[in-house]
Amino acid sequence: MDNRFDVELVSVTKRYGTTLAVDGISLRIPRGTYCCLLGPSGCGKTTTLRMIAGHEAVSDGDILIHGENVSDLPPIKRGTAMMFQSYALFPHMSCLDNVAFSLKMRGVAKKERHTRAREYLELVHMASFADRLPAQLSGGQQQRIALARALINRPRVLLLDEPLSALDPFLRIKVREELKRLQRELGITFIHVTHSQDEAMALADLMVVMEDGHIRQAAHPREVFEHPVSPFIAKFIGSHNVLRLNQGPVAVRADRCRLGSAEDGPHVHGQVIAVEYQGAMVRVAVKTDAGDEVSALVPDQMFYRKPAEPGDPATLVWAEQDTHALAEA
Amino acid sequence: MTSAGLSSILPFALRGRPVAEPGKRRTTRLPPWLVSWFQVGPLALILVVVFALPTALFLIVSFYDYDRMGIYPAFLLDNYRELFTTPATWRVYASSLKFAVIVWAITLFLGFNISYFLIFHVRSAVIRTVLFLLCAIPFWTSGIIRTIAWIPFLGRNGAFNQMLMGLGITSHPLTFLLFSDFAVIVTYVHLFTLLMIGPIANSLSKIDPALMEAAVDAGASRWRTMVDVVIPLSKTGITLGSILVFTQVMGDYFVVRQMSGGQSASIVSMLSTQIQAMQYPPASANAMVLVIFVAVLVAVMMKVVDVRKELVK
Amino acid sequence: MAAGRISDKRPWTFYALATLFGAFLLFLYGPMFVIYVLSFQGDNGGVTFPMVGFSLTWFKEIFQPGQMANIPVSFSRSIGLAAVVSGLTVVISVAAGLGFRRRFPGSGVLFYLAIASLVMPSLLVGFGIGLSFQFLGVEPGLFTSALGAQLTWTLPFGLFAMFAVVNRFNRSWEEAATDLGANAWQRLRHVTIPILLPGIIGVAMGAFTLSYDEYARTTLTIGTKNTLPLEIYALISSATSPTLFAIGTLTTGVSFLAITISLLLVLRMQRRRAFAKAG
Repeated sequence: MDNRFDVELVSVTKRYGTTLAVDGISLRIPRGTYCCLLGPSGCGKTTTLRMIAGHEAVSDGDILIHGENVSDLPPIKRGTAMMFQSYALFPHMSCLDNVAFSLKMRGVAKKERHTRAREYLELVHMASFADRLPAQLSGGQQQRIALARALINRPRVLLLDEPLSALDPFLRIKVREELKRLQRELGITFIHVTHSQDEAMALADLMVVMEDGHIRQAAHPREVFEHPVSPFIAKFIGSHNVLRLNQGPVAVRADRCRLGSAEDGPHVHGQVIAVEYQGAMVRVAVKTDAGDEVSALVPDQMFYRKPAEPGDPATLVWAEQDTHALAEA
Repeated sequence: MTSAGLSSILPFALRGRPVAEPGKRRTTRLPPWLVSWFQVGPLALILVVVFALPTALFLIVSFYDYDRMGIYPAFLLDNYRELFTTPATWRVYASSLKFAVIVWAITLFLGFNISYFLIFHVRSAVIRTVLFLLCAIPFWTSGIIRTIAWIPFLGRNGAFNQMLMGLGITSHPLTFLLFSDFAVIVTYVHLFTLLMIGPIANSLSKIDPALMEAAVDAGASRWRTMVDVVIPLSKTGITLGSILVFTQVMGDYFVVRQMSGGQSASIVSMLSTQIQAMQYPPASANAMVLVIFVAVLVAVMMKVVDVRKELVK
Repeated sequence: MAAGRISDKRPWTFYALATLFGAFLLFLYGPMFVIYVLSFQGDNGGVTFPMVGFSLTWFKEIFQPGQMANIPVSFSRSIGLAAVVSGLTVVISVAAGLGFRRRFPGSGVLFYLAIASLVMPSLLVGFGIGLSFQFLGVEPGLFTSALGAQLTWTLPFGLFAMFAVVNRFNRSWEEAATDLGANAWQRLRHVTIPILLPGIIGVAMGAFTLSYDEYARTTLTIGTKNTLPLEIYALISSATSPTLFAIGTLTTGVSFLAITISLLLVLRMQRRRAFAKAG
């Protein structure tokens, strides 16, 4: 029995009738990992999460948690807990009763389950809201209650379905930090589904990029960012220019590109189509002669030394070592 | 960062390495359709036993032979032939249809405008609920009582006539008010307008007011907004309400008998006379024709709007 | 809200529709009000105006059985039948409403069967059932044929009401319950039913009043023991006294009381969880 992994997916497949939602994916998630499943909508990431949770049956393949095959076990026997996208807090129960729900299902006496539930409310700093109903809380507060409710079973793996999507941008960053802190303190694996690459970059130890029911790349975010394996990945994680050169498709990070002249090194010619001021940087969008849209992220000082206007001809240049060859799409 | 330690054991693909025996798949859960069948089973059973089978029975009986002593299994079309060759049948159908169309038009006008008022003009949710309740409360009083309530109101010495005379609008009591087609229509409208208000208000409440603002922004007049945005979006409610009102009027038996003063008959009261005379086969034939008539009407209305798609999301 | 965001003045349509609505309310309540007043008609008064004094004679008459009709007994029959109908309707239509959340083979047929049962002229339903009992040689009765006849009406109503209720039910509540270790029964008992409760009470009340007032379906299936509406109908053809109006006033009062109580219950529940929809 291999105990180094919290979760292992072995050729996991999900079919709905004749359509393949998830196509034989395999993945190993080491102990205590913050794993983000990332991809455009319809890529199969949520289905994968729901299969791990046991809310969706596996058509083929196996799911192992701590080395044990859980493919046919009901959710509660898997050692997973799920936090739903809209939190799914029970509207008719107080926060305390929501958190204590699973203990109640197991027949734990009222006094004991309330004591335990209060401990978990402490953990998410919501102890003073114990008697409120979910309707009386803000989105961020509801999320913490949902978190406490999921954690009270001491899951080996916490599954989070788009946990930040219902929050406003400022709160999102705060809650993001908190999720990471919690994961580190608890030392368990979090699997977090998101379509935002920022979120995945900020949180993940292991970033799993999915497309069309396949895993396209699974690695540390830095590895994915610096060495995207395909044009899809390079485009999806953003801040990359994907170019078709003679040697095949390549990716060049936008912040490594400058406007310059052909003598400076590798380059493409084109025309400026947009200039966006972003504060510290200025993004210059260029349409190449080959028809690709690329951009350069230029430090503001450098840009204003030699500004460009939409319509100007431009040459995008970069250093040879920044050319990153991609597999054919 | 924890990432440094992790990168040494980063995952790799392990496609095709079986862990448990593959092929043996997932028998632990019931298929969802079977669960649904258990849940709808009692409903289906009851509807079949007390609705579908009895209906099938009078379909069969409608071909039977009968005399004053009893009814006899046979396959005769006489009951239908007799029904269609009696002028009274056509008269009664025509009169019921006339009532249905008039009442439908009035209740639709009232129902739509009242719903629109309640949903879009009343700003406070509490007042809206109270006004809805005001519309609904009379519905909880027996239909029979609500019907006869019109008798002291519309009669010769009734409240309405006294009011008119008190106001000097008329010098002698109006007699066409009670026991007339007018009385029948008034009673129907009184009984059935709520059946329009309910479904239409439900549809209207699902319309985002922003859509109407968008229409106004795009230069649409109040009228065009109504015709091009509001009405198409409330089609389901209008259809449902129309079906309810139409079928209620077609199936009525009490109001016409009570309020027309014997001047009009309804299909069902004609039928009930036959039933009381124990003439089951002709009554069955009559019933069958009415059922088909109503079914075709409803089917046509449901063709216009896929009510099922709207109801079962 | 419809128009007129710029100025706060109401558009003319508001006044037109408000007038229409007011007139409608007068129309709705005018005749009802007349019978409420006439039910307090004096001893020697008749079924029309003018009022000849004021008395409670006609109310007393309701409770004196024997003369023309037995109102108290038929009233208790009606209540008993309505309670059974309402209970069955709730259980069956809640289950069916949950079942209809997914498509299943036969769902279309069942849906149209329910529609047909709802729009079928009422007397014909009773006729079919009465005829069936006659063919089977069984005596019709309150809790057999009459119950069946009323269910053909209350079940489709309950089903369609449940569609509206279930539409607002967030599936992930159930999944969350499963995730937290609830078994099927616990999930139903602690999550599904409590969340649907306001809707369920609505269905129960609706079914109760539909059954309590039902006449046309019941008349051919009841046998010899009348329910209240049948008794009232019998009174109409035989008697012309304000007793009828007194019954009307009384039944309205009873319905009103029942509705008020259940509405207060529902309102209290909904206030406690205003966000149920947002879930």
